[in-house]
Amino acid sequence: MALRNAASFLGQRLVGAAELGISAAKSSAGEALTNAFVTDGVRHASNQAVKQRIRAIKNIGKITKAMKMVAASKMKNAQVAVEQSRGIVNPFVRLFGDHPGVDGKSGVTVAVTSDRGLCGGLNSNITKYTRALLKLDAAAGESANTQLVSIGDKGRSQLMRAESRLFTYTFAETYKVRVTFAQASLIAEELLKNNPEVVKVMFNKFRSAISFKPTLATVLTPEVLEKQLTEPSGNRLDAYEIEATHERSDVLRDLAEFQLAATLYNAMLENNCSEHASRMSAMENSTKSAGEMLGKLTLEYNRKRQATITTELIEIIAGASALMDA
Amino acid sequence: MSLQISILTPERPFWNGQADEIILPTETGEMGVLKNHAPIITGLDVGAMLIRGGQASGSKDEWNSYAIMGGFALVKQNQVTILANEAVSAENINPEEAKEAFESAKANLEKAEGVKEKVEANFAYKRAKARYQVVKVLKKI
Repeated sequence: MALRNAASFLGQRLVGAAELGISAAKSSAGEALTNAFVTDGVRHASNQAVKQRIRAIKNIGKITKAMKMVAASKMKNAQVAVEQSRGIVNPFVRLFGDHPGVDGKSGVTVAVTSDRGLCGGLNSNITKYTRALLKLDAAAGESANTQLVSIGDKGRSQLMRAESRLFTYTFAETYKVRVTFAQASLIAEELLKNNPEVVKVMFNKFRSAISFKPTLATVLTPEVLEKQLTEPSGNRLDAYEIEATHERSDVLRDLAEFQLAATLYNAMLENNCSEHASRMSAMENSTKSAGEMLGKLTLEYNRKRQATITTELIEIIAGASALMDA
Repeated sequence: MSLQISILTPERPFWNGQADEIILPTETGEMGVLKNHAPIITGLDVGAMLIRGGQASGSKDEWNSYAIMGGFALVKQNQVTILANEAVSAENINPEEAKEAFESAKANLEKAEGVKEKVEANFAYKRAKARYQVVKVLKKI
């Protein structure tokens, strides 16, 4: 605005200069451009708004980059713990076998999820698989006695909406300090309070920094286990002589509880590690998108800035030349 | 070197190796396992586990001891798998600390009142006792 006033002022001073052939055209073009500038301001974002947007995106980019580095370092620590905790699950699988397809009259399904978000599609994956599992169980006819337990806040919020009637427990903030075996034992004890026959644990197994697959671990109580293990040549467990003060069933029950605790411990650690890895890659993608958006917006900003300058220049020249003609 | 032994805890695989004989602190007392023992599943109490002739020790008759905080043991075909809640090697226990802990745990147990306190004190006492026993055995042998 100030520039336009200055231009007309300047033009008045330059009265009497040589006539420029294109001056008429230029003046009308200048007016057209001026009009365009006034009305255009309403149609698309002013340069100020673009500048603000650029600043905001730059900040977001910085935050996501920091989050990615934090997640990467946490993942490295968690990875060590995960690999070491896998050792204790193997003997159980060797001894009892893995029976994911078992139909039990009463069961507990545990969904292991994370507490915080911004970790990619991890938690929705688990929710999807858990719901599918519940549907399968319902189809097999034992939905009446299936309990749903969620470890982690994200699972709670997602599953509560979907399957609220089956929900019993939620365990939250397990990862706040550190996952310990004591925690897992406590959860295992809670889960076994109502004597379920089958406990199914759904978690994300950490395969590598870019691969985490939803995995199902099944833990059976001794009665169901004995039924499963009975092969034509006799019960596999019978090969072992069980020595204890209590009866065989007590020892097996304790063993099953230990197996559940160890499985839960492993599951929570694996999920924790997968969460960090997933967050790392999600934040990496965010940073990259933020960078691209920033580039595009900067170009647009500069283009607009240059267009504005050009417009002002043309106005001045047009104004000056118009007054020179007059 | 006739038994293949693996001691596993939830946090990590504690020890894998070979030995000649192993003495387990079962709920019914101490049980020794030699070559060609019958297959057995047994529960383990909180106590000291002794391994003779392991790779870690120099000669065939040297005993190594570990404090085991409860768990299970599976023996089959000269393969011994120990699943423990927690395991500590005798070398990693400080003798004076262990003795102090043992004494204070014992005192606490006698002082404890109420079911909850008694249970906790009992557990702490058993733990301290296991560690102390293990360190005593090491020092003697």
